[in-house]
Amino acid sequence: MMSKRNHFAPRARKEGLVIQRLADEVLVYDQERFKAHCLNRTAALVWKHCDGRKTAGAIAQALEKDAGTPVGEDLVWLALDQLAKSRLLTERTIPVSGTGISRREVIRRVGIAAAIALPVVTSIVAPKAANAINCRASGQACTSSAQCCSGVCTGAPSGTCA
Amino acid sequence: MTRVRAPLGEIVARVLRGAWRRNPPELEILEDELDEVAPLLLACGAGALGWWRVRDSNLRDSPTALELQQAYRLHSLQSAVHESEIKHLLTVARDAGAEPVLVKGWAAAMLYPEMGLRPYGDIDLCFEEKSYGRAAAAFEGLDRTRYQVDLHDGFSKLDDLSTEELLSRSETIWIGGESVRVLGVEDQLRIQCTHALRHSAWRPLWFCDIAAAVESRSVGFDWDRCLGPDARKADWVACAIGLAHQFLGAEVQATPVEPRANQLPSWLVRRTLKNWSAPYPGLYPPLSYTRPIRTYFRDPRGLWGTLRMRWPDPIEATIRMQGPFNELPRLPYQLGNAFSRIVAFLRGYDKSDLEGW
Repeated sequence: MMSKRNHFAPRARKEGLVIQRLADEVLVYDQERFKAHCLNRTAALVWKHCDGRKTAGAIAQALEKDAGTPVGEDLVWLALDQLAKSRLLTERTIPVSGTGISRREVIRRVGIAAAIALPVVTSIVAPKAANAINCRASGQACTSSAQCCSGVCTGAPSGTCA
Repeated sequence: MTRVRAPLGEIVARVLRGAWRRNPPELEILEDELDEVAPLLLACGAGALGWWRVRDSNLRDSPTALELQQAYRLHSLQSAVHESEIKHLLTVARDAGAEPVLVKGWAAAMLYPEMGLRPYGDIDLCFEEKSYGRAAAAFEGLDRTRYQVDLHDGFSKLDDLSTEELLSRSETIWIGGESVRVLGVEDQLRIQCTHALRHSAWRPLWFCDIAAAVESRSVGFDWDRCLGPDARKADWVACAIGLAHQFLGAEVQATPVEPRANQLPSWLVRRTLKNWSAPYPGLYPPLSYTRPIRTYFRDPRGLWGTLRMRWPDPIEATIRMQGPFNELPRLPYQLGNAFSRIVAFLRGYDKSDLEGW
């Protein structure tokens, strides 16, 4: 198992993605699965180096150059695990660790040792309030004035719109 | 001691002050104020700008700020998706022998430090009257669930100037290696101003657009061209810029509109702030018209409510009645506008027009 892991060279998925680079993170929209992801700087760096040639060890070395600080291979595996789950690698799964250590333990270990932020890949979801196209009429229940057409919620947080 | 909370419209204005700049001023806001206005910012498409302001404040890690950040991320991604869509739409139009002018949303967004700060839904393309038919035919085969495109036959819905005149002043810019025509900056600003007022000035984002356009103008910006020859319409434009100045801090120093920007009709200021305190798209036409008025003849339930919703906003009524922005009461314009819409309805002109009755 370890040997498979040692030779595993992940490749970043390119097809069907829209990529937007921001100052501190990379946003990815998966046009095939209609899902949006946010990669923090560390996850984005790992993803950038997933060229199908570099192993996790080589990616860790490349990261060390980018970040100017020692980077453990565990941190790369942590990123690869999240990238694979988000379908941002051409491989659906990555070889599991043969050591039997849990993911939580890996995060703890990496967190203690890492001089750079832990890699994080999160889903982007629309803020609930962004879908509000209408407000509440007079007499309707409200928890804040912003919900009311009148702009006044009497008795908030459990009041009625004026 | 009980703290007196500022009206919601004022808090919205405070959050968006200078938000179109790369380095906006420091935001001073209490957490509960931010909690209160965040839904309004999100509802009117200003969530990303809210994040732009709050990201350097001590509230940046608050749950509400993170909601705004999500909006920023989503809009940033949407802008990237739109960009690839625009390139495709340009190709479709050009293959049909029609050259579009890209207006409204995208053209406004390009003046922000990041395109994602200014979300837009439709991609608005204007065509010369002679090529509109070809373009419309070419776009018929498009997947409308994927491409939200709004085609315009000329510019008559946007401005009084002729298509030829607007085209002669238009400019070519580049979107990721693809050239596209946009309106000249002076025409663009004038259209943004009148559009905002014609729609009751309810969306604060429009005034951020105006502020961004005013502050990004070049040395050679031609104010005469922007304001146009009609003194009344020039005054509307100056008032719209004035609202952006007074509420959002747009710089108007040493411009011809500065005196007017500092002295706006009190009703205009009051009404705009009132509208900003509930900037919900569903409160304004066309979304506020839930069903055609003629259907109430058969089933009058809800008629009173819909008539109240259709009572003209004073800003919109003044513009539609071509009225001046002075201190006189707006009721005559509102009555006049309501009357003209009733007449148009009775004549049957407006039955399918969501902007009418």
